[in-house]
Amino acid sequence: MSLKKKVWIFGYSKESKMIASSLKDVNFDINIVESNDKNSNDALLDGFKTMVLMDITNDDELEPLGIEPNDYIICVMDDEHLNVFLTLSLRSMCPENEIISISHSIYTTQKLKMAGASKVIDLYQVSANRIHSIFKKPIATKILDSFISSSYDISFGEFTIAKGSCLDGIILENFDFSQYNIILVGVLDWELGDEFIFSTTNISHKLDADDIIVCIGNNNDLEKFEKKLKMSSK
Amino acid sequence: MQNFLVKIAFFLYRSKGYNQTKKFFYDYLENNEKATKHYIDLFFIFLILFSVFDLVHSVKNETPYWIVFVDYYIITTIFIIEYILRLWVHGSTHHIIIREHEKSKFLQTNFSSKDTIKNILLEKWQYIKSPIALIDLIAIIPIYREIRIIRIFKLTRYIRSVKQFFDVLKSKYFELMTLAILLLFVIGVAGVSMYTLEGNINSKINSLLDAFYWALITATTVGYGDISPVSNMGKIISMITAVVGLIIIAFGTSLMVSAFFEKLGEIKDNRIIDEIKKIDNFVIICGYGQMTKMLLREDDFDGKYIIIEKNPDVAKQGAKDGYNIIMDDASKHNVLEKFKNSYSKISLICLVNNDIENIYITLNAKSISKDIMVVARASNASMEKKFKIAGADNVIVPNIAANTMLLTAINNPIMYSAMHSLLSGKNAAYLDEIKVLGYDNIVGKKIADIDFKEYKLLLIGLKRNDDFIFNPNREMVLESDDTLLVMGLKISIEYFHRVIQGSLS
Repeated sequence: MSLKKKVWIFGYSKESKMIASSLKDVNFDINIVESNDKNSNDALLDGFKTMVLMDITNDDELEPLGIEPNDYIICVMDDEHLNVFLTLSLRSMCPENEIISISHSIYTTQKLKMAGASKVIDLYQVSANRIHSIFKKPIATKILDSFISSSYDISFGEFTIAKGSCLDGIILENFDFSQYNIILVGVLDWELGDEFIFSTTNISHKLDADDIIVCIGNNNDLEKFEKKLKMSSK
Repeated sequence: MQNFLVKIAFFLYRSKGYNQTKKFFYDYLENNEKATKHYIDLFFIFLILFSVFDLVHSVKNETPYWIVFVDYYIITTIFIIEYILRLWVHGSTHHIIIREHEKSKFLQTNFSSKDTIKNILLEKWQYIKSPIALIDLIAIIPIYREIRIIRIFKLTRYIRSVKQFFDVLKSKYFELMTLAILLLFVIGVAGVSMYTLEGNINSKINSLLDAFYWALITATTVGYGDISPVSNMGKIISMITAVVGLIIIAFGTSLMVSAFFEKLGEIKDNRIIDEIKKIDNFVIICGYGQMTKMLLREDDFDGKYIIIEKNPDVAKQGAKDGYNIIMDDASKHNVLEKFKNSYSKISLICLVNNDIENIYITLNAKSISKDIMVVARASNASMEKKFKIAGADNVIVPNIAANTMLLTAINNPIMYSAMHSLLSGKNAAYLDEIKVLGYDNIVGKKIADIDFKEYKLLLIGLKRNDDFIFNPNREMVLESDDTLLVMGLKISIEYFHRVIQGSLS
């Protein structure tokens, strides 16, 4: 069985081509679903596993695809009405899955969310956000960019607390992260629900095994910290 | 004499104080781009109104002596000084002398001080004979008290509508001139005929002037009735004059109305441009589409923005939606040049739905001034490079930006939500920049001495002279112009900001 995560991409047009190829680069198992002959041909030529459905709005055709609860679903149909309808059908069929829809307009974003998309990426909003950030927060934007593109020495690190490690059972406030030259950004504490809690809220947290902490720091320092965590848990 | 002139000219040319003083007066008297000139304008408007009020009041009343004194001596003196200053800042005398001197040196002829002085006087004469300067001059002549009512016309300098009215009339100069000559002809013919026909039998017509007066009053359909024809022939002439006059007036009116209608959009746009140019830091957005709407919904730049849209229908819709929008083509040199002034920091965002046009606008902006910051939208990654070559400071590719978000969402869901919050500030954390200014009370303090934890903030880094220092050493001393990168609740950041500015303790 393959350990690769499975991604279903509905629609293979200009945008989804880019998404598919960049997901392929980071080793996902990609499945394209298309109803248009030309687009599905393109997908096949680009070397993707491609299913051709006659009618994407028909549940009887969607069900046999065999989408499993852990798979990712990305809806990038060119037709906005179809994209909303597809999101809705997929949500009713797969209540557990992470469905990410791409939106081309302010009005569709809201509809996609109502239709049950877990995340909606609004092309215009993302760009507008970026322009806003460039003007208002040039430094922060650069730093955040570098986190994603890893072009800079500083990045985010996510650490899962292993049982018996030096952080297991510790009150977060009492731990001095500065000795590792890293900054604690927040924590995902399963006791408090699965929401990400930022360290600036000043709520005292007791860390347990399986909690996830997120830190920023130099890559070297983050690695050192990770090693230290691993060592202590052994 | 010649040497003396040239020496003085060079002295003035080099003198920093002289040039600065002249620039100062120029800015406050003539430079409409100067934001603070507004106050000087208001001061002069007040003086003019005061003076006119005194004149009107004194027609039927006894005016207190101090008012007469202020009006007669102080205001008149101020206006005289104003007139001299305006005359001084118009053109540049020493430049003319230097130019003439260099010309004669180059041609190896004698420097003629006579010609030079003639040129200087000619330049000043250009100013003196302009209508507004003539009004200024008459307003300060103290010979005849009632003539000071002309001061009210000085207001035309400060009322833009008057200038615009004359500009519109100027644009129809030829048509209006033709009509005016026609009207003059009709009045001339009617006046002369009336005088010869009724000059002896009509007791009201005693001179040719009376006849012309009657003709004009009749032709313009005013018809006071103080002079009216008494003979049959006179009545016929009256009827013809009235009808012809009516036609001419109707023509003239429609001509002016259509001229205004044509210029209305331009007048409106120019007003918006004039207003925005007074701001020291503004944004020009090219194209009004979804992205522009989204951007302005996100951040309206405190109203310091202007949209330029080429399509008239779209521009109309934008104005209806309540945005500052003008209808024009941003890829034209003269359109963007209108915004240029010496002190504003201008940013330009190209959001037109067409790469070729966006690149052209980018180049256009950069050719006007390298200092204009350009953020452009490109349709794909290969275009991004072209935009960089054209000089864009930042390029946004919507697809790539969305793609990055999507990848982060799948690969790194925790980071996705963290980043989402960091940028939008929707949850507890907001990443923001705080610029340390010279008068803030944290300048000179060590980082260790500022209890960021108490303010519920996290100091991520510090930017000093283009270098970003991550997790700075706690012994570091803050300096003016540093930028702190902090994370925290929006309200915490705002509170901290107010504390360091000293408005809270």
